[in-house]
Amino acid sequence: MNNSADSSAEAAEVHPLEWDEPEDNRKPPEDRSSVSNRVEKVDDTKLVTGEARYTADFVHDFRSVGRVSVVRSEIPHGRVLDIDRSTAESIDGVWAVLTPDSDVVPESLYTSAGQSYPEPSPWDMHVLHEHVRYVGDPVCAVVAADQPTADRAAETIDVSYEEYDHVVDPDAAFSSDAPQLFEPDEVANEIVGHDYDRNRMAHIEGELGSVSSAFERDDCVVHETEWETIRQSHANVEKHTALAYADEDDRHVLITSTQVPHHTRRQLAHLFDIPIRDIRVKKPRVGGGFGGKQAMVIEPIALACSLAVDRPVLYEASRSEEFGAMRSRHPMRVRARSAVTEDGSIEALELYALSNTGAYGSHGMTVAGNVGSKPLPLYSKVPNVRFEADIVHTNTPQTGAMRGYGAPQGTLALEGHLDVVARDLDLDPIAFRQAHYMEVGDLDEIAGMMGGEGAERRIRSCGLDECIERGKAAIGWDEIEQPDDPDCHRGVGMALSAQGTGVAGDELGGAQLMLNEDGSFHLHVGGVDIGTGADTAFVQIAAETLGCSPEKIVIKSSDTDVTPFDYGAYASSTTYISGMAVRKAAAKVRERLFEWASRMLDAPIGSLIAADDRIHHETTGESVTFEDIGYESMYGEDDREHIMATGSHSTDESPPPFAAQFADVTVDTTTGEFTVNQLVVAVDCGVAINPGMAEGQIEGANHMSYELAVSDGIAVGADGAATVESFDEYGLPSATETPPIEAILVETHEPTGPYGAKSVAEVPTNTVPPALSDAIADAVGVRIRSMPITPATLRDKLTE
Amino acid sequence: MHVELTINDSPRALFVDESESLATALRRAGHTEVLCGCDGGTCGVSKVFVDDEVRMACGMDALEADGSTIRTVQSLGTQGALHPIQQAFVDHHAVQCGFCIPGMIIEAAALLAENPDPSPETVRAAIDDTLCRCTGYQKPVRAILDAAERLRTQPEAADGVIADE
Ligand code: FES
Ligand code: FES
Repeated sequence: MNNSADSSAEAAEVHPLEWDEPEDNRKPPEDRSSVSNRVEKVDDTKLVTGEARYTADFVHDFRSVGRVSVVRSEIPHGRVLDIDRSTAESIDGVWAVLTPDSDVVPESLYTSAGQSYPEPSPWDMHVLHEHVRYVGDPVCAVVAADQPTADRAAETIDVSYEEYDHVVDPDAAFSSDAPQLFEPDEVANEIVGHDYDRNRMAHIEGELGSVSSAFERDDCVVHETEWETIRQSHANVEKHTALAYADEDDRHVLITSTQVPHHTRRQLAHLFDIPIRDIRVKKPRVGGGFGGKQAMVIEPIALACSLAVDRPVLYEASRSEEFGAMRSRHPMRVRARSAVTEDGSIEALELYALSNTGAYGSHGMTVAGNVGSKPLPLYSKVPNVRFEADIVHTNTPQTGAMRGYGAPQGTLALEGHLDVVARDLDLDPIAFRQAHYMEVGDLDEIAGMMGGEGAERRIRSCGLDECIERGKAAIGWDEIEQPDDPDCHRGVGMALSAQGTGVAGDELGGAQLMLNEDGSFHLHVGGVDIGTGADTAFVQIAAETLGCSPEKIVIKSSDTDVTPFDYGAYASSTTYISGMAVRKAAAKVRERLFEWASRMLDAPIGSLIAADDRIHHETTGESVTFEDIGYESMYGEDDREHIMATGSHSTDESPPPFAAQFADVTVDTTTGEFTVNQLVVAVDCGVAINPGMAEGQIEGANHMSYELAVSDGIAVGADGAATVESFDEYGLPSATETPPIEAILVETHEPTGPYGAKSVAEVPTNTVPPALSDAIADAVGVRIRSMPITPATLRDKLTE
Repeated sequence: MHVELTINDSPRALFVDESESLATALRRAGHTEVLCGCDGGTCGVSKVFVDDEVRMACGMDALEADGSTIRTVQSLGTQGALHPIQQAFVDHHAVQCGFCIPGMIIEAAALLAENPDPSPETVRAAIDDTLCRCTGYQKPVRAILDAAERLRTQPEAADGVIADE
């Protein structure tokens, strides 16, 4: 757990600042042909014309497809005694009714978390449950010829229960006299620190130095603050959707809206006891994931239903199921403590999180770990750092992975806390942070202090200073003008954030690149584009490496029968890990192209350069096109070769991207109404492979972060059930409700990433809650620590 | 029961169920460009023109549409010849997952037919009932403003599309 001085000295040796970077990985902007260009997104024309196909669109490939309706628990906690399905089964068009004891429904325990193997999540779920733990737990599934029939039949099913006591509040759940959600034999693959007598699925902690001795020092002021975040919905506009069928070889195919095709294949194989080779998972276009589809949420039900009726079956979740029975962001209470000297030197930082994982434990431990391991390393100059978390079950809907993955909760607490301290000690909030944050060359030991996945890392790129400088200028930090109305006050706030790029030491991506005779290429990548533009980034990386135009590359991704393996789209890994696999494959193909060109031009390889779809002789100007090479290598007289190569990438590195967030707000002190005049967020994502797409990621992430600050999220009632059933009841900010967001790209070069790239899509999800809370404190002197920030909470605070 | 519709200029006769929504009927007829993101009427992605009026196809009974002229996003442009609004979405990287985009483009087409020079606020108001989880609306709004400009300077680019319908 704890790193001694010796081990860090050792670590310094294995983590040299100098990275063995391929020579052509670092290119000045003028030498880049594809990378950092605003290349058109490869799937855009089909998306804007409506010709793209999402999962539900594939039903048209079949003559008849069964539809699924799931009967879900109406009680928060209990055991199913009886299921009366007689009426349902007698309805015309009903093909099957599945219950927990149906033959096709697996008996084994599993986790829905789409993680590497064995999953760092407890196996605590069944496909259909007898022991139900929240209102919404799946109990029974109806397959019928069409959706209305399935829904009607599902309504007739009568489930009787033995009801147990339930618990909704996480503090109440975390005690030995609370109703217990899990018996010992109801969980396998348990997680460190579990204590199911108190509903605790995991406990984690780590420390560097000694926090407690710093807290006892006379020269330090100790501050303690508490923060709370809501249960946020992924609200991907495409609902979870899965189509299951057997193909003509009698193999099981799932076309599904997933972020993790290969993990889903493995998990289904284990759960249903089917060989991995006999399952094919295909990801078509996906209508947003954000972590909600980094879970095998509905695929097991779809597969079981298709097995039961021996026909294709489509399960498309309803929007009310999306809010009440899919996944959400873990609501948390986070306590921050610090010891700071009068002159503003931070001697100790501590975060404690109580995370509410809901009824099941998927992603519970790892998300909570990131509450500490993402935000705390930012302040690598602080000598004593501690983090601890308890992850507890309640009879509420399931949580899971969500963009930011614990970092938003931790960032609110840490950044909010630092602002409280700065104001209290009358320190400049930016200079206070600047005196402690990481810089190039630092060995970040905090990321590794919990052991396991996040090892120490050497910081090789950091654009925080420039992020702050440009963000401050854009928001007008030093020149805020007060409104004329004496009741209205304007203020600005800021927050910093760091994320990771992939899970250190636990990622893998593969790619394959093949030349066609006309000089075009087929690129097959395991990596998963869920709307982010990853496919386009892969193409740009390959084109940059080969010296061809991006249009010459045809990409296929995420089909487990066809494309190489990949862990999937999560942890901000795709461009960095899968993109590096693409780069490696392309570098090998490039070598073969040079070999052929050298033969064809009768010139040494060292005299050749690739650009514009051809290979040129540096001095003579003679050249061969990729098409010439294609025909010669495939149909030539003497030697023949299919020029192709694979690349595979895995690494212990996980370089942090950085964000500096600024918020400008005007508050009406009479009503508590507030207007966010502008959000500015400057992000260092290394080299942005496609600046247009990167800005889009930043703007979308900041919109999601804004929602986390101002929306109620998925509220739950006294029975723990979600009270939100439709978008009308959920606070997804609409176009008029969204403040202007300015995204600023700050370029650095990350030597471990493809062409200097690191991640971008998560870090701007972390920062609006603390920055807005700060801005309001700046404007009117009151601070909201429990999200959401609403006019009502603000008015209450103002009148306190 | 059957209804007669004109869908993107082609006459179609569709068999529909009594309570079936227009969105379901269109999707069954192969018009999968009409997407559905909610349980009805709250996400805006199922928008189509019904007799030149923007409607959420999920919120309308297919029977009610009998005799009407339906235009989906496919009436605007093709992959080889995008409509200026579609082109602007592409050029501005305003599309991420794309799920909300057909609805958003239909709404933009209706807006620009009425108001060729809208303010950013007007554009935001027009797409206010089309939810997007990916973009934060920044780039879609910019794309629509740019499309307005393109249509003002090159109206012929949209010929035969929504003009004088
Ligand atoms: S599906 Fe029609 S508005 Fe949501
Ligand atoms: S682009 Fe994904 S919902 Fe709008």
